Amino acid sequence: MATLTNHRQEAISPYSPMQPYPARIAEIKPEAPGVSTYWLNFLDPGLQQNFNFKPGQFNMLSLPGIGEAAISISSDPSKKERVGHTVRLAGNVTRALGQMQSGDLVGVRGPFGTPWPVAENRGKDVIIAAGGIGLPPLRPVIYQIMQHREDFGRVVLLYGARTPQDLQFAAEYEQWQAANIEVIVTVDLADESWTGQVGVVPILFYRLRMDPQKSVVFTCGPEIMLRFVVFEALARRVHENRIFVSLERNMKCGLGFCGHCQVGPFFVCKDGPVFSYNMLKPYFSVENL
Amino acid sequence: MSTEIELTAALQTIPWFQELEQEHFNQLLGIATLHVVDSKQDLFREGDQEDYLYVVLEGRIAIEMSVPGRGRVRVYTAEPMDVVGWSSVTPVVRQRTASARAVLPSRLIALDSYKLRQLCENNHDLGYIVMRRMANVVASRLLVTRLQLIDMFSHPVNEGSNA
Amino acid sequence: MPENRLELGAVVALPYAELNILLADLRKAGYLTIGPSVRNDALIYTEISSLEELPRGYSSQQDAGRYQLVYTGHQRFFDITPGPHTWKQFLFPARSELLTLRKNAGHWSIEDNHSRPKYALIGVRPCELAAIQIQDKVFIRPEWSDPVYRLNRQSAFIVNVNCLHPGGTCFCASLGTGPQALEGFDLSLTELEDVFLVNVGSEAGRLALSELAWEPATAFWQQSAHAGLEVARLKMGRSLLDPASLPTLLLDNLEHPNWDTVGERCLGCANCTQVCPTCFCWDIKDSSDLSGETCRRERVWDSCFNPDYSYVYGGNTRPNIRARYRQWLTHKMASWQIQFDTLGCVGCGRCITWCPVGIDLTAEIAALRVEHH
Repeated sequence: MATLTNHRQEAISPYSPMQPYPARIAEIKPEAPGVSTYWLNFLDPGLQQNFNFKPGQFNMLSLPGIGEAAISISSDPSKKERVGHTVRLAGNVTRALGQMQSGDLVGVRGPFGTPWPVAENRGKDVIIAAGGIGLPPLRPVIYQIMQHREDFGRVVLLYGARTPQDLQFAAEYEQWQAANIEVIVTVDLADESWTGQVGVVPILFYRLRMDPQKSVVFTCGPEIMLRFVVFEALARRVHENRIFVSLERNMKCGLGFCGHCQVGPFFVCKDGPVFSYNMLKPYFSVENL
Repeated sequence: MSTEIELTAALQTIPWFQELEQEHFNQLLGIATLHVVDSKQDLFREGDQEDYLYVVLEGRIAIEMSVPGRGRVRVYTAEPMDVVGWSSVTPVVRQRTASARAVLPSRLIALDSYKLRQLCENNHDLGYIVMRRMANVVASRLLVTRLQLIDMFSHPVNEGSNA
Repeated sequence: MPENRLELGAVVALPYAELNILLADLRKAGYLTIGPSVRNDALIYTEISSLEELPRGYSSQQDAGRYQLVYTGHQRFFDITPGPHTWKQFLFPARSELLTLRKNAGHWSIEDNHSRPKYALIGVRPCELAAIQIQDKVFIRPEWSDPVYRLNRQSAFIVNVNCLHPGGTCFCASLGTGPQALEGFDLSLTELEDVFLVNVGSEAGRLALSELAWEPATAFWQQSAHAGLEVARLKMGRSLLDPASLPTLLLDNLEHPNWDTVGERCLGCANCTQVCPTCFCWDIKDSSDLSGETCRRERVWDSCFNPDYSYVYGGNTRPNIRARYRQWLTHKMASWQIQFDTLGCVGCGRCITWCPVGIDLTAEIAALRVEHH
């Protein structure tokens, strides 16, 4: 038997997941230099009501005539009025997206991907380690935990960015802290006006006293950061099947059909992007796999 | 002036001090003092002679370098239990290579550098423990610095990329 | 086995000339009949309407990086083994339209017109049939099926031809995909002197055959076919030992020094992925007219050797040819098994023949079996 995930794609239309559905840009919110959240409303209100995603999933956003890009959904899964996609404006498609305005239409295909195992880890201490553009796919986890706060133990967000200006969603940190989520932030480099930490995300583990038996780690960010976060988590005896990473690869179809996103035998778009470390272990440190 | 009881209690909160034999602990206790600094207060400046090896108990100390045209660039912050000023114990470096300034009101243990070096010279067992500890500190700083150097969050210019 | 009645599984004999009638019948029924033909010194698959267009009298000499058509003037149609073309170009076309999107007054309408011709594939080899069955697992899955592939596939009529003269790069016997096909066809032919021995593989095949002047298959003919196939099994140009061990061998040796060696020879030209009957990677190409009101989305073949294939923000996850060759081989011989419960290779040997520098994957795999430290 093939051992990879065979779950039915719970896409907008399971029957035509290659078809983009039109959505209007309701708001474009700048989050950091070169990074904005696009808040979308499906033109079809029925679709808006029935669109369900889980934390860690992504949509393929289509700009007809130009192309598509896989964008993490960064909004609250329980808020149905609109869906937020945090985009780093980098390549042809995302730069074209950067030229668009509220009211313009984009196509949406999705949601795709294996989500963060939030519900499966009720009762645990949750350590969320994010770097740079790795925070958007984790923000829905924070929202979901906030709505069921008593179901989880200690919840800590370790977040790092290049400079203080690059910290995303900074305006929300206070609300998260108010929900008893520790928010520990660091930047690579700063000037004298910054009173926070300067360093890198993995060393935030040095100063974290954690109970490895009770802890689960969710991490997303540049792959080199993931390697060291995993290293630190393992060094603190968190079991490898309680460490979850989210990977990024070139994606075209989002369904596991076009072949592009493979890492070893896995299709990142459907067996991932969230993987448990023990599943990924044989392939994770192989250079250029 | 810090009392011996206060000092002993403070030293005992530091993990690597907890692992010392009583004799070594007492020797370090003998050269230790408690320093308290306010936000924005300098601990030491680039070019200063190293006078103390510090261990942060509370607060935050920023390691900074002065870059003409950019002002003071903050390259690292030391948190509770971090060591500041490790160059005190190395024979090669004789001056502070960076500045240290408190970001938050901080409390630190300060070990007299000259006396520390003497202690290590006279008692190689203690010397080994101190050097090993410092080697770990420097190794860890090197890793952090390398990760910062890689600039993993930077925004490369992408031509011909699709997404 | 009753030899006077046509049933599923029946084996009968068909004179050569009856094949022309089969072609005509299929065309009358609306099929586009595709078969092998010689063009520009190579064997390709193209529309044929009569036996005369088949490669009668031809064979080919194939070796790593070498292909030579040879005309010996013999009377058989199907001695020659496949060239660079595969049947995937019909079932999984190199370019196909996924949808057309029209924008008007703030709304979009989407058309996905997937009408396709009905194909009758004449002369499909057992390895190629196995490849089609592998692509069936890739494109038709419980959670979703590719509509273009599925339409093409469901309407296709397949006439298999067993191989009595394997080529210099063939190794189907090692993988159990040939030289004889046992199922998956509508009709299966084994070419003897003056007649084809025909196996009825489906109801559609039975119906087509019932219109032709078939004869009972004599014991002599059946034994000739059987003997010929036995000999063919032993005459393969290449072999691949212990295919069941390949997934473990490859995934346990991702840092083997041989990847460096082959990585230096490989040009990254992607020929192998073009000629491989199972390679399935594809890209999406969007385009629009000048006004931007009508946008087309096309699906086109892609290759893991394409440098852009593994592009991500900030760089390329497979930045060199060594990495891309390793991806191709480990996908085909290891990951594929985990993904689709079958190896991705059918032993047709095309990648060996059509590699400009003659890389032979059977040799590369043998090299991986050499222990390293």
